[in-house]
Amino acid sequence: MTKLLQTIVDGLGVGSTYALLALGISLIFGVMHLVNFAHGELITVGAYVSYFFFLHGGSWWWMPVAIIGSAMLASVATELVAFRWVRNASPFTLLLTSFALERLSHALWQILVSPKQRAFPKPSWVFYQFKLGGISFEWMDIVTILVTAATLLLTALVFKRTMFGISVRGAAEDFDAARLMGVRANRVISGAFAFAGLLAGVAACLILMRSPSADPSMGSDWLMKAVIAAVVGGLGSFSGAVIGGLVLGLLETLTRAYLPEVATGWDKFSTAVTFVVIAAFFVARPDGIFKVSHAERV
Amino acid sequence: MPAVQQMLTRTGRSVFATAALVAVVAALASLYTSSGGASRESLIAEMLTNFIFVLGMQVFIGNTGVLSFGHMAFAQIAAYATAVVAIPLAAKVKALPDIPFGLDTVHFGAFGATAFAIAITLVVGAVFGIAVCRASGLAPTMITLAALFVVEQVVKNWSELTRGAGGLSGIPRLQGNGWLWVGAGIALVVAHLFQETRIGRFAIATREDELAAPALGIRLFTARYAAWIVSIGLIALGSSLRAQSLGSVNPKQFTLDQGILLLVMLVVGGMRSISGAVLGTVLITAGTELFRQLGDPQRLDIERFPDLFLGGTMLLVMLLRPGGLLGDRDLAGWLRRRMYRRPTAEPVTASPGTAVLKASEIEVHFGGFIALDGAGLAVRPGEVVGLIGPNGAGKTTLFNVITGLVREQGGRVLLGDDELTHSNPVQVARAGLARTFQNLRVFKNLSTRENVALAALVSARHRPHRTRVDVDTLLDDVGLGEWADRQAGTLDYGNQRRLELARAAALAPDFLLLDEPTSGMSDQESLAMVNSVRTVAARIGAGVLVIDHDLGFITRISDHIVVLNEGRVLAEGTPAEVRANPQVAEAYLGSSA
Amino acid sequence: MLEVDQITTRYGAITALHGASLEVREGELVALVGPNGAGKTTLLNTVAGLLRPASGTVRLEGNDITGAEPARLVRAGLALVPEHRRIFKDLTVEENLRLGGATVPAGERRSRLAEAPELFPVLKAKWNTAAGFLSGGEAQQLAVARALMSNPRLLLLDEPTLGLAPTLIDVVFELLQRLREQGRTMLVVEQNATRILRLADRGYLLRTGRIVAEGTGAELAADGALFDSFIGGHAEGGTA
Repeated sequence: MTKLLQTIVDGLGVGSTYALLALGISLIFGVMHLVNFAHGELITVGAYVSYFFFLHGGSWWWMPVAIIGSAMLASVATELVAFRWVRNASPFTLLLTSFALERLSHALWQILVSPKQRAFPKPSWVFYQFKLGGISFEWMDIVTILVTAATLLLTALVFKRTMFGISVRGAAEDFDAARLMGVRANRVISGAFAFAGLLAGVAACLILMRSPSADPSMGSDWLMKAVIAAVVGGLGSFSGAVIGGLVLGLLETLTRAYLPEVATGWDKFSTAVTFVVIAAFFVARPDGIFKVSHAERV
Repeated sequence: MPAVQQMLTRTGRSVFATAALVAVVAALASLYTSSGGASRESLIAEMLTNFIFVLGMQVFIGNTGVLSFGHMAFAQIAAYATAVVAIPLAAKVKALPDIPFGLDTVHFGAFGATAFAIAITLVVGAVFGIAVCRASGLAPTMITLAALFVVEQVVKNWSELTRGAGGLSGIPRLQGNGWLWVGAGIALVVAHLFQETRIGRFAIATREDELAAPALGIRLFTARYAAWIVSIGLIALGSSLRAQSLGSVNPKQFTLDQGILLLVMLVVGGMRSISGAVLGTVLITAGTELFRQLGDPQRLDIERFPDLFLGGTMLLVMLLRPGGLLGDRDLAGWLRRRMYRRPTAEPVTASPGTAVLKASEIEVHFGGFIALDGAGLAVRPGEVVGLIGPNGAGKTTLFNVITGLVREQGGRVLLGDDELTHSNPVQVARAGLARTFQNLRVFKNLSTRENVALAALVSARHRPHRTRVDVDTLLDDVGLGEWADRQAGTLDYGNQRRLELARAAALAPDFLLLDEPTSGMSDQESLAMVNSVRTVAARIGAGVLVIDHDLGFITRISDHIVVLNEGRVLAEGTPAEVRANPQVAEAYLGSSA
Repeated sequence: MLEVDQITTRYGAITALHGASLEVREGELVALVGPNGAGKTTLLNTVAGLLRPASGTVRLEGNDITGAEPARLVRAGLALVPEHRRIFKDLTVEENLRLGGATVPAGERRSRLAEAPELFPVLKAKWNTAAGFLSGGEAQQLAVARALMSNPRLLLLDEPTLGLAPTLIDVVFELLQRLREQGRTMLVVEQNATRILRLADRGYLLRTGRIVAEGTGAELAADGALFDSFIGGHAEGGTA
């Protein structure tokens, strides 16, 4: 029982990071049908910005602001310099454009800084532990879950209550109808990129507090998982992205913890089993948990 | 005999195109290696394996338009399969003391190892392929991505078989690049030949339009699966040869990044074109090397400039030429058009069919909305029936029921004695109903003639009992003879409509089903369409069922008109009878209540 | 108020409008009728800025608005209730209405939002329901209410009765009548030609992308061209 709880807390910790990233991917997909493979690079941007500030006497007290701010700026910038120009192209072209940006980001950090990993200090309290009912938790687990919950709540409020949020949801469902309401296409898309940047920035903070280092390709691994989570949830569905992220996180930790008990000697194949399950899921439900139908011209 | 001759022509053409491409590349390669040592030879080796990989990917991604990130997974399987049977026994027992499956006593020579690797990879690939080719949208791409991670994890962790992250070495090495040249040649011939075969043409049709291809009797799964298998086979060949050329394998050779590098080569050159794939491979391999040397050669962390080159090239191509540098220009395709000789035989006219098309008591509900409420109609052989009704009357729904796109909750569809109730579009097309689409669905990247020839391939196979009219006669009948070699997407609107008509006719159907063939046309064009439809229908001996908004067109073309309103048949009869019917006027102009 | 002058609009290779012209004056209800595929929706979408005309001009209150973004047009006082309604099915009724008022100041938006349930009582009960669950008639009222949120001086309606049961068609016509009595300027595309022409001040008949007849509602309803254009009885008649 203790093990199960521990595993679930771990799973929610990883899963909430996936969820934040997947939510950004789903949001961008909603407004412009782009599967943004450059989204993970926002983490990299946050990491190098932290590295830079720590070189000049940074502090974790204000670092999250710098990380989130830079991720938002970078996100909006990718739309301005690249995606805007292929806005009405095929999804295939959009996706490959985002790939190109991902490559360029790698190159940029390799050339500007170094291909090697650069480390910076971590907040002192990250691995402090405390016990609750016989289970030991790390502070970071609690921070991760709380911050994610707060961010998701904020996101829900923004999309439920603000004019911007309603515009984005309307545009995701039927872009032309939203334009007829007077919604400006450029503004809504830039806004969606900024918000996706914010979510990625929060995820970056959580990632960097645990492992405070920057390397050019660090964003890609997270990105792949987040894309899978977003597609599992059903691209374009916001709650689907969150559920997809949490499910993926839990699936990973649960297979790691319990697979050896089911089949001895299989512990090393836990990741492989996770992805077999995911592949099987896509065979059964190719449109994800929540199928999103978009307005089509009749 | 003509079949054999045709096969020889196709093979000859493929071999010729291959030889020409290989010659150009070989000339460049020898120019490059003539001044320089072994490192230049190894760059050529790298380029040749890239060729095989990129062509392998082209066969699936280029022909079906389904993006795959997972091809490197199968390359990895093939490489390790090669290693575990090719490494000499003594070395193998030392490196892998716990090797399973009794592989400690198995040893194959170069040919045996290559064949074994291809076979194993095909078996695994065949299983994954079922999942990949059944899904649609983004799911296949995600399944290939998952496959990549699965294989990566298994290789890293199944150390009894793979020695984990360290990889395996000691594979007997092939001397020189000779076998890689052979491999590249094989890959080129196979890729070319695949585009010439029926199933390869079908795969291309599914890429061009996922809805129009089944309506021509082409099964999406079969066509994609065939492309997948051939593609995986080529990947396995390339990977096995590379393993034997390098003498070692390790997981770093098969990362997602490697797969993306190959994808860039494919996309930059133009994924639909084999010549494009070759061009992309040469450009990107050479460019990457060039940018690698731009870095500081004294340090080992110089991989940064190649990424800049890759990202920059890909971004520029996507922004400026999303179809790739060559787009649809292809050496073999050019040869095919140049060598085309129109059959000299007199144009034939098919005798009329004998079956009656009958739909009766059709009921369709969408949620609570009743779209069809017992509507039905019959079309006799050679007859032209017009289907009209106000917006929302259920015309298109009835059409979609007959052609298998919408499933009816009640009623029957019969073609002669064939039961078509609840059939899918592929079955309907093969049974003898050929449809056109309201919003144009020509295969835009293919030539006009290739569009029609695709349908003719289906009829050759599935409608042998009908007299088939040759492609050029049909093109002449609709007035597209002079545009036969034009890319269909560049034809003007009216001509694309006529092309859809000719393509449907090439299916040698019993009935042509035309969904708004004149929408968006001027009065003169509509008038010309009347003649085109009548000429083509008479030529292939088919009846016609036509929906149209333009009632001038409908009254001119139809022998019999059926009027639908609110999901039921409101009236039917000759055009004059229908025009005189006050109920019809009321349905169109609104009740005066 | 609205002058459409010699508009030609193409979709890729298709020319859907061939130099169509019409005019809507202050306080008028103008009907645009014609057979399916004549280009009526294309004309409204061109006026509303969803499509850019290849040639010709559109003027709203004397200002040239040809090819302007819809965002600008809504702010200039024009609103379109599009074909098939296009309400946002995932959004609640309230959210749909708020989005309809995207261009007006927040205070004004709130006060209009407060008035909406009185003007459209059916929406009151469904206020927090996702619009996808509304019936066809309710959805149509929501679409109109949503367009009115920006308080447009000119309201364009595209096939407001499409897909509705006969009793609901009556409801929509009553709504049009009511808007007309409030002095709202409207341009309405409607398949129920005789009925809309009876209500309209003036009407235009569109066929294969060209205006082929115009006049007061009554004149047009009595004109044989209307019937002929729908049923296809041209001078040359049918061949059958």
